[in-house]
Amino acid sequence: MSRRISRRTWLTGVPALGGLLLTGCSRETFVPPRVRGGLIGAADVLTMSTNRLLLSGQQLAREYSRSDVADPFPTWNQTNPGNAEYQLHASEGFRNWRLPISGLVARPRELSLDEIRNLPARTQITAHVCEQGWSAIGEWTGTPLERVLAEAGGVTPAARYVVIDTFDGWYEGYDLFEVAHAQTILAYGLNGRDLPRGNGAPLRLRVERQCGYKNLKFLKSIRVVDSMSGIGRGTGGINSDFGFHWFAGV
Amino acid sequence: MTGDTASTSELLRSAAGAPGAAHSYNVRVCHWINVVACAYLLWSGVHIFLDFPELYWGHTGYRGYPAVFRLEDWGLSWDEAGALGDRRWGRNYHFTVAWVFLINGLVYVVWNLHSKHFRNRMLPAREEWTIAHVRRELRAHLSWRSHRHDAAGSYGTLQKASYLILIFVFVPLMILTGIAQSPGFTAAMPALLDLFGGRQSARTLHTIGTVALVLFVVVHVLEVAAAGFFTRVRSMITGT
Repeated sequence: MSRRISRRTWLTGVPALGGLLLTGCSRETFVPPRVRGGLIGAADVLTMSTNRLLLSGQQLAREYSRSDVADPFPTWNQTNPGNAEYQLHASEGFRNWRLPISGLVARPRELSLDEIRNLPARTQITAHVCEQGWSAIGEWTGTPLERVLAEAGGVTPAARYVVIDTFDGWYEGYDLFEVAHAQTILAYGLNGRDLPRGNGAPLRLRVERQCGYKNLKFLKSIRVVDSMSGIGRGTGGINSDFGFHWFAGV
Repeated sequence: MTGDTASTSELLRSAAGAPGAAHSYNVRVCHWINVVACAYLLWSGVHIFLDFPELYWGHTGYRGYPAVFRLEDWGLSWDEAGALGDRRWGRNYHFTVAWVFLINGLVYVVWNLHSKHFRNRMLPAREEWTIAHVRRELRAHLSWRSHRHDAAGSYGTLQKASYLILIFVFVPLMILTGIAQSPGFTAAMPALLDLFGGRQSARTLHTIGTVALVLFVVVHVLEVAAAGFFTRVRSMITGT
């Protein structure tokens, strides 16, 4: 009797794991690209795999109502990259800005801001949670990252991480579980208007289940890779190169 | 006493937390792992806080938003606090030691539920539940007369009650207010946001809880001192 119930319980748990299986129930889903040594590395793996198991249904992060929105939305750290190329694009209203999508995709290509805006959009009112301790709610409008990658023919079977580079010299890697999430969008709108420069114009990433520093601003390019080694210091992102967590779900 | 003459039955009795025995092996090991873990959690938590030394209530809170607590109102400016804090170090250690604290705590709770330590040693007996008894004990505590004559493992009523509330109410609330600040965990368990009234409320409650825990430790150490510091610390180390 009890054995039958436990088997049934186990079987009902299987569909919940479907989300993980679809994105490939791979090592990348549970373990950072480079595991640090000692107890800190063990805790990183525990934290990430616990989160991923709890989020195996690809649940959405809390979405709030318009009355919760912070407007103007606070700005923090870099608000205007000094990079000459960025300044030129900004002075032209980002008309000539292009987003190259390269690496392990079927058809590498570039997208203009208008082309991205013409793709199916998603608007989500979510909390930006800074690892430093502050949080604010914004209404973000953008295109799901997975949809943008589909414009380049989608990722190839060897793909493991999507790497995003920015005009202020930052870069971060994201595993495909994060990329596949419905709320993982490239946002061009904030609170019903164009994304302000201080918040990352022309395009910023939203990964709602991770801390602010994973939500890169001032996007420059996207590449799809099979490994993070050889990029930066090889830890998987600039923040983890500096010694912060690569998986920033806490 | 605990030399090679210690009998097996004595060790078993002590491990099972039988009444009258001193602190069991499990209680002693978990206690000292907990001391180290809590020290790291406090110190790393202070570092994280100093890098953003303001507290808010609700779902929203950022620099310039109405705060319920600002360290600069207490004489330490934002930049001075930031120079003392280090959230990179703090976050790495806080979230590493949190696992040590959690696993150690689970081992302690499961082991002592199994060995009936909580029921036999920490649940106040019926005759302890009278107002007269509690008042008598409170008076003894306040007049600095403690239970010097008691065995190390036998707790007073107030002591039992405070340990049980700490272990089964306070510590779980600290863990929940901690993970209610995490964007990953709250996506999986959005009820945490409703439970505490928002991410910033959870951060504020986590900080208040930290202060309360520090006060608990201060009183705890004072009580140990009142009961005879060296004998009590030795008993928590050797079990005798």
